[in-house]
Amino acid sequence: MSTMFKLNPLSKLIFLSILIAIGFLNIILSCALFDNWLPLIDVGIFLIAPLPNALAQSLSSAYEADFLSDSNPEAAVKEFLEYLTGFLVISGLIFPVVLFHNHLISHWSLVLSISGGFIIYLSIVLFIVGFKEEADDYDF
Amino acid sequence: MDSQRLFRFPLLRFPNTQSAKSAAIYVAGALYAIGFWSMVDASIFSKTVNASVVHVTFVDWIPFICSTLGTLIVNMIDKKQLLSADSFGSGSIRWQARLVLFIGCTLLAVGMSGSALLVILKYVVKGYTSMPTLGMALENIYATGSITLSCIILWVVQNVEEDYNYSLAL
Repeated sequence: MSTMFKLNPLSKLIFLSILIAIGFLNIILSCALFDNWLPLIDVGIFLIAPLPNALAQSLSSAYEADFLSDSNPEAAVKEFLEYLTGFLVISGLIFPVVLFHNHLISHWSLVLSISGGFIIYLSIVLFIVGFKEEADDYDF
Repeated sequence: MDSQRLFRFPLLRFPNTQSAKSAAIYVAGALYAIGFWSMVDASIFSKTVNASVVHVTFVDWIPFICSTLGTLIVNMIDKKQLLSADSFGSGSIRWQARLVLFIGCTLLAVGMSGSALLVILKYVVKGYTSMPTLGMALENIYATGSITLSCIILWVVQNVEEDYNYSLAL
């Protein structure tokens, strides 16, 4: 995985911008083709989905000093933030399915909004991974 | 740890690395999301495409709320207070922790059995057993079941971490 990101920073940037543009294109298409703007909520869910893990990263780097101490409340906070990440990512994937199940959107809109939302999330995560200073494992 | 096993075969040896724990926590969050959106789906279904006279009301949400409160309570207890042997004057706090854990587990069980009770009393007894209507009831059962499963996974992960910290401190 680390060898994949040994690219030129500029080409990384261009690749990620193309990726996020494709994501937004898919979402806007899923709304505009059917004149039904409900799937746009999915963008919001996927935009806030990387936030808890970003918070957890900064938290763990700030508290690295007393990692071995007995009572570490930051571990509980980190677990809660990871829980929240799992909740938000699956929410973003399920939300269009719920809309589709209730006949609020068509099935092409379902496919476009799920793929678009996931591409947006993926590009944000790849941005965080690709432009990290130290080579550390950052999953999700 | 190994000398205090109850059974002879180490059947439940969980992976003890940090990334496995993170993955388990992600799975727990995902299961909670499935439960939550299943309830939301039942409510929206009741409002939009529902052709029957049965509707999802606040009563249908009570098992979900019980399960959520139970998950919150069970996972907010500090596990050290439960597992610690007799320290100086910590008997009362251990008793409190056990009481709170009991309340949390009771809430989880009330959620599970409440959803089954709701399905029987509101749908099966009254004869609404055809599929699109019964789907709202089944989603209720899925919701409480997946929330309970999420709570179990979180509990196991937190208990595994005790050993991890111990081995790290050595």
